[in-house]
Amino acid sequence: MKANSKYSALAAIIVMVILALPYRLAADAKSAANKSSTAQWSVEVDKINPGDVDLESAFQVAIYENLLDEVGKTKRFKQVFRSGDRNAKDVPDLLLLKTTVQKYTAGSETKRAVTTVSGATKLNVLSQLCARDGKVVLELTVEGDVHFFGSNLRATHNLARNVAKKIKESTLPDPSPAASESTAAASGAASNPAAKRPSLR
Amino acid sequence: MRRGFMKKLSPILLLWCGTAMFAQTPSGAASAATTNEVNVTQIMGFEGTAKNTKGKLSIQDTALQFQKSGDTAVQVSLASIQDVVLGEENRQVGGLPMTLSKAATPYGGGRVVSLFSHKKYDTLTLQYLDSNGALHGAIFELVKGEAEGFRSQLIAKGARVVQAENKAAKQNAPEISSESK
Repeated sequence: MKANSKYSALAAIIVMVILALPYRLAADAKSAANKSSTAQWSVEVDKINPGDVDLESAFQVAIYENLLDEVGKTKRFKQVFRSGDRNAKDVPDLLLLKTTVQKYTAGSETKRAVTTVSGATKLNVLSQLCARDGKVVLELTVEGDVHFFGSNLRATHNLARNVAKKIKESTLPDPSPAASESTAAASGAASNPAAKRPSLR
Repeated sequence: MRRGFMKKLSPILLLWCGTAMFAQTPSGAASAATTNEVNVTQIMGFEGTAKNTKGKLSIQDTALQFQKSGDTAVQVSLASIQDVVLGEENRQVGGLPMTLSKAATPYGGGRVVSLFSHKKYDTLTLQYLDSNGALHGAIFELVKGEAEGFRSQLIAKGARVVQAENKAAKQNAPEISSESK
């Protein structure tokens, strides 16, 4: 009888520990997230640069808008700003996401539906995360295609998703020293009127 | 007697029908030219509206307005529009149900259906600035042939066009260089 009660008490303790574990883990994750959010970059998504590629305006706009959506979804950045946003000027730890189109293959949804193997829309871009002083923090070459189902503009969504995924996976330098460096550079440049304001673009 | 009457009447009838037919066309064109409201699908980017929302795009005094039926209208100042670009797209109709049924059709019949189940449409791409100076881009899908008229109305009311100016500059550039040589 006594043995039974001992076992049941032990089982109850085990069950309680198992039930409490996920909450503990979640709390740990939250505290880790809070720690990381104390030193987080903000990002300003710049207008898409078509480069030498003859890319339709709709595609440029779609890449820009999808990038804003997808980069925001990563939660990697404290704030995501649009190009030219005046609120971004006062943000200390700001990165600029520049996107330059390198290759573009115009596809056709009808061709894809009829042949399956041809008519793919392909995009290849160079994405750069730059600090205020113009220093490139991260450089990525990313592709976005649509091979089978979906409209041609879906390639822009896939591209933005891939850019965001790669940014999420990569490690960025700690924002505070870089920011202090850039502010120091800005104060040093105050004597030089040509380099008075660190360029964002 | 009757035959004679019919012979006299038939040219008059033909003339009347012809006049009526010709009269239809200009009045239709005129109505298309004066209307400043078009049915559109907002593909993405117009602030305050979800992607792929159907509604009406119109010009209200100094603002561009998008209104989903039975919903509040969203407006953007015409002066804030930085660029208006037209485009043309071709897409398969019927959505997912059609795609599935085409895939299920035996002997590659779905591919044959795909050859005929596509539709051309116009795209209207806008770039505008909000009150903070932040850049927004919006893409609208319009019935083929409607976008050009709407764009010219936008430009007439004060919307800016950058791309056309750039294209014109690019086209002129080689001529200037060849002349200088």
